[in-house]
This record gives sequence, C-alpha cells and structure tokens, in this order.
Amino acid sequence: MQTVKLFEGHSHEWIAFARDPEKPEKIIDTNQYMIKSEREAILLDPGGIELFASMLASVVHYLPVEQITHLFASHQDPDIISSLGLWDKTLPNATLHAPWLWEGFLRHYGCDHIIYDAIPDEGSTLKFDNVEIQFIPAHYMHASGNFSVYDPVAKILFSGDVGAGLNAPDDPMFVEDFNAHIPKIKKFHQRWMPSERAKEMWIKRVRRLDVEMLCPQHGSIYRGDDVGRFLDWLESIEVGSGLRL
Amino acid sequence: MAADIELRTTFFITAVAVAAKLSLVLKEAKNISLEAMNAKALVARAGENVRTFKPITDYMVELANDTIHLVEDINREALMISRSSLTALRGKDAVYHFNRAKEKSKDALYRESYEEAAKLAERDLREFQEKLHKNTQRLHTLLEEIETRMLAANVVTSTSRLEAATVSTIYRANFEAIVAKFEHAAKNIRTIVKDCRKVLNKR
Repeated sequence: MQTVKLFEGHSHEWIAFARDPEKPEKIIDTNQYMIKSEREAILLDPGGIELFASMLASVVHYLPVEQITHLFASHQDPDIISSLGLWDKTLPNATLHAPWLWEGFLRHYGCDHIIYDAIPDEGSTLKFDNVEIQFIPAHYMHASGNFSVYDPVAKILFSGDVGAGLNAPDDPMFVEDFNAHIPKIKKFHQRWMPSERAKEMWIKRVRRLDVEMLCPQHGSIYRGDDVGRFLDWLESIEVGSGLRL
Repeated sequence: MAADIELRTTFFITAVAVAAKLSLVLKEAKNISLEAMNAKALVARAGENVRTFKPITDYMVELANDTIHLVEDINREALMISRSSLTALRGKDAVYHFNRAKEKSKDALYRESYEEAAKLAERDLREFQEKLHKNTQRLHTLLEEIETRMLAANVVTSTSRLEAATVSTIYRANFEAIVAKFEHAAKNIRTIVKDCRKVLNKR
C-alpha cells in the first residue's frame, strides 16, 4: 500500500494510505487517512474488511496501535468502515466518531468495545493532544448522514466521497491535470450525489474554509488551485442523474 | 487443523439443514400422537374386550410427546449451533486478517503492538470452536435419544400386533390399521434421524 505524508506540522501530521496492490480486483480502491499527533492518532474512513490487513500493516510503520485512539467514519458504506469489527478487536479502547444516523447500522459490522460517539447533524469538534479537527456536515453528499473533516492548521479537508473518482489502480495520488481528471470524477458525482441543494450547501460551507488540500476517499487528491477548480466544476454539473432515467 | 476449523465453522448451514429435516419428524410424531388418540377412543368404545391395549396406547402418547419435545430441543440446539458456528467463522476471519497483517508488516517498527490483539483473536477462536464442539455433541446425543425411542417403538409395534390379533373381530381391523400407521410413522422418523446423523457425521 502506498503511503504519502500530506502534512507535517508542530503538533501533528497527515498520512494518506492508498493504492493497495493486493486489493482484490473487483473492490473499489480507497484512500485512508491518519492524523497523528505525538501521543494519539485518528484514522479517517479506515476502509473495508478486505483492506484491514494492509492498513494495519501500514500504520504500524508509524506508531504502535494503542496510539490510535480515534476512528472516524464519514458514513455507513462498507468501503468506509466494514473493517470496524476487526478494529474493535485491535483497538478496544478507541472511540468511533460517526454520524448519529448510522449508529444502529454501523454496529452490524461489530462494535463491542469501541465507544460510538454519535456526531450530531450540525457537526462537532474533536480535540486530541494538541490537535483540533472539525466534523463538517456533508449530508446527502452522498449518504443521508455524512460528514467531512476539516483541519484548520493543516488546511486539509477530508471530503469523503466528494471529489472521489473511479480511478485506475496506478493513477497518481495527486491530481496533475484537472481537465484530464474530470472524466474520472464526472459520472461518480452525477450518479452518486443525489441532491442539487445538498451540493450547493456543501460547496457554500467549504468555500468558507481555507482549504489547501481536498482529500477524497477514492481517487486523487486536489492541491492548491485545483481545490477551487474542483468546487467550481462541482457547482457547474447537475447531480442526481439516476432520477433522470 | 485448518481443515478442522473449516469443517466446524461452516456448520451453520448443516445445523439449519438438520433442523429443516427434523420438521418432518415433528409431523410424524404428531401422526403418532393422533393414532394414539384414535386407539384410546377405540379402547374406550370396545371396553373390557381390549383393555390390554390401554397401556400400549398410553405408551404411544408418551412416545409421541417425548419425540415432539426432543425435536423442540434439537431445534433450539441447531439454532445455537448455527449462531456459535457463525461466531467461530467470524473468529476465524479475524485470525486470518491478523495473520495477513503479520506477513505484511514484517519490517514495521511497531509490528509487535498488535500482537496481543492477534493472540486474543486466536484465543477467542479456540473458545468459539470448543463451544461449537459441545453444541454438536449435544445435538448428536439428542438425535441418539430419538433413535432409541424409535427402537422402543419397534417393540411396541410387535406387542400391539399380538394384542390386535386377540381382540374381537369387530375391532381387529381398526387396531391393525392403527398399528400399521404407528409403525409407518416410527419407520419414517428412524429414516429421517439416520439421514440427519449422516449429514452431521459428514461435517
């Protein structure tokens, strides 16, 4: 699995894990992220059950597992968090932060020890060590209970499925040519995102943030001006294509 | 060991299949119960002439009720097996994923940090398998009990035939028909239980 350090600051760092070469072919490729401080860490959308071994093997290059004190699930999909039952065995003292809406659903994956911290619809803030991150509402983008994660110090937005693309396994970790990237993300957004209103609300929220890097759960990461380009592009397309069949 | 785990952990399908087969036993046991009731009514009507048949009909009722209760016990046990084998399957899956992580993290600095979790997963798996083994043994015992009762049914059938031959000709045909149905039901139960045990032994 490829790992890339996205940010390194005084208090914490961001690491991306992606492009697992041993991933079963028909499973969609996913990006996992870890925010690591001196003593603690949070895994953002830790991934599906098939990815657990690779993820566990990757994170122990950076820290002992007991330092992972938090998990975050942007929504309930299996590629996001079907590994929960295994993390539950690995990190029995951790806390999972996830939309309140999905608690009863996510527990189906197995959550006997991990504490479920239900994020309210309006979002919330999480502080650990000297790090503070914000859970930003992204409801209906695409799931009905959905959050993005914003780190104001690193100026990174973990956007979940927003910005995601159906990329090839050997695609670059970062968007290199936005126009060439559009075909990889167009269908994904038009079909997976159901609501124009939700899209507009999310864009409005994100435009208020200072974002230098927009990190989706699939595909390539947007940096610098490509963040703005992506928001403009998203604003311009019509989503909910499944309703027009 | 791997094959052993495989056999035990796919048991949830076998247990459900056994439970499904046993619904036929329940049907036959209810038939026995019905025939026993018919016999009782006939004994009451025939009076002194067939009083020797009374203990036989009482035993038929007892046998039917015992069988019905045993099938209920087996169904409960099969459900427990189904659950415990699924738990074992999950446990096996966890061990598999931890082992894969071990292979992949050979050169990782903190690879020892999840060793405890991996060991716990292995211990859990052993416990799940032991529980499953106990449940399976109990299922075998219950099936054996039904078989034993059906052997007793053979004896009852022979005795009933002898008694039926001695009753008045007015009632003889009726009694013989009841005995034949009883025998048929007991035979069916034996066949089904044998099938169930075969399925269990295959696993």
